[in-house]
Amino acid sequence: MSETQQVNILMVDDQPAKLLSYEAILVNLDANLIKARSGREGLELLLKHDVAVVLLDVSMPEINGFEMADMMRQHPRFQKTAILFISAVRMSDLDRIKGYESGAVDYISVPVVPEVLRAKVQVFVELHRKSRELERLNQELESRVEQRTRQLQESESLLRERADLLELASEAILVRDPAGVLKYWNAGAEVLYGWERSEVLGNPVHEILETQFPVEAKSSESILLEHGRWEGNLVQKTRDGQEVIVASRQVFKKEVGTILEINRDITSQLRAEEALRQTERLAAMGRVAGIIAHEINNPLEAITNAFYLLRNHPSLDEEARYYAQLGEVELARVGHITKQTLGFYRESQHPVNVPIAEILDDVLQLQSRLLLMNRITLDKKNFTDGEIRGFPVELRQVFLNLIGNAIQAMPNGGNLRIRMGTHRNETKGNTDLCISICDTGTGISPEHAKHLFEPFFTTKSTKGTGLGLWISKGIIQKYDGKIHFRSIKFQGSHMTSFRVILPGVTPALKAVEFTHHATGVETARASLGPAKHVHSCG
Amino acid sequence: MDLQNTCILVVDDEELPLTLRKLVLERQGYQVVTARSAPDAMRALGASRVDLVLTDQVMPGGTGTELAQSIKKRWPEMPVVLISGINEIPPEAAYADMFISKVEGPTALCAKISAILSARRSPSG
Repeated sequence: MSETQQVNILMVDDQPAKLLSYEAILVNLDANLIKARSGREGLELLLKHDVAVVLLDVSMPEINGFEMADMMRQHPRFQKTAILFISAVRMSDLDRIKGYESGAVDYISVPVVPEVLRAKVQVFVELHRKSRELERLNQELESRVEQRTRQLQESESLLRERADLLELASEAILVRDPAGVLKYWNAGAEVLYGWERSEVLGNPVHEILETQFPVEAKSSESILLEHGRWEGNLVQKTRDGQEVIVASRQVFKKEVGTILEINRDITSQLRAEEALRQTERLAAMGRVAGIIAHEINNPLEAITNAFYLLRNHPSLDEEARYYAQLGEVELARVGHITKQTLGFYRESQHPVNVPIAEILDDVLQLQSRLLLMNRITLDKKNFTDGEIRGFPVELRQVFLNLIGNAIQAMPNGGNLRIRMGTHRNETKGNTDLCISICDTGTGISPEHAKHLFEPFFTTKSTKGTGLGLWISKGIIQKYDGKIHFRSIKFQGSHMTSFRVILPGVTPALKAVEFTHHATGVETARASLGPAKHVHSCG
Repeated sequence: MDLQNTCILVVDDEELPLTLRKLVLERQGYQVVTARSAPDAMRALGASRVDLVLTDQVMPGGTGTELAQSIKKRWPEMPVVLISGINEIPPEAAYADMFISKVEGPTALCAKISAILSARRSPSG
C-alpha cells in the first residue's frame, strides 16, 4: 500500500443526520468516508474494505456499538482496527470502553466537538498509515532476507560442487604458501604422489617431493611471485621413490598470499613419445638400409662375376688363380654381411613363412665375433625346423635382442645355450614353437625383474636404450606368442633363461616334442623365487 | 643336358653387370641373348627361341616381376628367374619361378638355373 493511497473511515450510526454531520467534520481529512446505518451493515462493509478507523455510535437498536466492537474483536482481521466510540458520557459506558485493550480504542462524548473528533480520527488514520508502512517494510525485509538466504545456499552448493570437482580431477592440485607450506592437497595428488593429505599438509611440499626445477628453484619462484604465473615441467619423486615428470602450472594469489599449483603426470606420455621416436628411427633406418643394400649388392654382383670369370680363365697360372680366389672369398664375405645386416631392416609388405632356425643362425653369425671375444661357448640344438608366419625383420629383432642381452651378460665368458623345439598346445589345438635362450651371466635381480619388460628400463646405463625387451615382448604378443623368463642362482653361479613361445605354421614331420628333451624342469611361468633346483633349458 | 642348344635371355638395364652375367653363363656353356629393358625382352622373346629368362628386378620402364607377369601371360611354360639386389623377396615375385639374390654369387646362380632347366625337361624329376 502506498502512502498516498486514501484510507477508509467507516462511520456507523442509526441516525442519518449524525452521519451527515460526521461527514462534514471529516471531509477535509483526505480519507474515504463510508457510511453504515446499522451494526450489521457496518460489519458487512468492514469485510469489503480495508478500514483504518471505525467511528461507532454506542447506542443503536438491534446491535449496539459495544456488541459490534465485540464481534469485530473476534475476527482476526479486525482485532487491531481502531475504534472510536461516540457516546453520551455515562459512567457505565466509560468503564466498558476502558475495558478494551488500550491503544486502538478511544471515545468521544456527545455533543461532538468537531475539532476533537477530527483530531482523534486523524491520530488513528496516522497510526494506521504508519503501521501499514511498517508492515510493508517488514515484508520487504523478510523477502530480502529470504532472497539472500537463497543466494547463500546457492553459492554454498556451488562451492561444494567446486570442491568435489577438485577431488575428481586426476591432476594433482595443491595450494601452498610462498614458503612451500602445503594448505590443500587433492585426491589426485594423493594418487600421483602416494602421500596422504594428513601426512603432507603443513609441510614444505617441494622438499617432500624432492622437486627438481628446470631452472634454479629460486628463479622460477621469483618469476611466479613477480608475474603471478609460472609454467614448466618438474621432476619429482613419489612416496616410493619413483621419479615422475609433471607439467606444472602455478598461479600466485597476491591478495591472499597463496600459490595454486596444478601438476599433470606426463611421465608415460613422454615415454610413449620417446618410444614412438625410437620406432620411427628404426623404420627410417630400415628404409635407408634397404636402399644401401641394393646399391651395394648391384656392383658387388658384377665384381664377383668378374672374379669368377678371372679365376676360371685358362691363361691364368696357379698363383694368379689363387689370388683371384682370395678376392672371391673376401667378396663372398661382403655379400654375406650385406645380407645379414642391411637385409635386417628390409620391410616386407606381407607376412611370409619364416624359418626360425635360419633366423637364429643369422643372428648367431652376426654375433660370432662377440662370442669369440667374450670367450662364450655356444651350445645349440634344433629339434624342429618349424616356421612362423610373419615378418623376418621383426623375428630377427626379437632374437637379436635376446641373444645380444645374453652375450652382454657374460663379459667374462660363459655358456650360451639355445634350444628350439615344439610344444603341443592343447588349449589351442596346434603346435607351438619354443625357443629358449639361456646364459650363465650376471643374472637378474628380483627388483630388476619386475621392470624387465617396461620401456626405458635398462641395466646397461648409457649403452642400452631400455627398449629391447619391451619391443621384443610387443612383437611376440603381436604373433599371439608369449615370453617367459627365470633367473636362478645355483652353486654360486647364475643362470638366466628366456623362453619364447610362438604359434607355428608348419608342424614339421620330424619335430620332436620340446618337453621330452627337457632334462630338468621346464616351467612356462616366469618365477623369481629362490630356486632350489637346477633349471634346465632343454 | 645340351647346353649349347639352351638359350637364356638375360635382362638388365645396366650394361656392365649384364655383360658379366652373360659371360658367366656363356662360360657355363649356355647360349645367351640380352635385353636392356622389359619391352626389349618381350621383343627378343618374339624374335628368337629362348629356354629361360633371367631378369633383374629394379629397372626403369617395367620391373622384373611385371616382365615375368607379361611373359607368363603369353608363354605360360617359360621359366622366369628374378635376380635382385634387394635382400628380401618381393611378394609379387610369385609370378617368377625363382628369386635369386645377387649376393649369392655365380656358382649358386648357375646351379639354380641348371636345376630349373632340368626340372623342365623331365617333369617327373
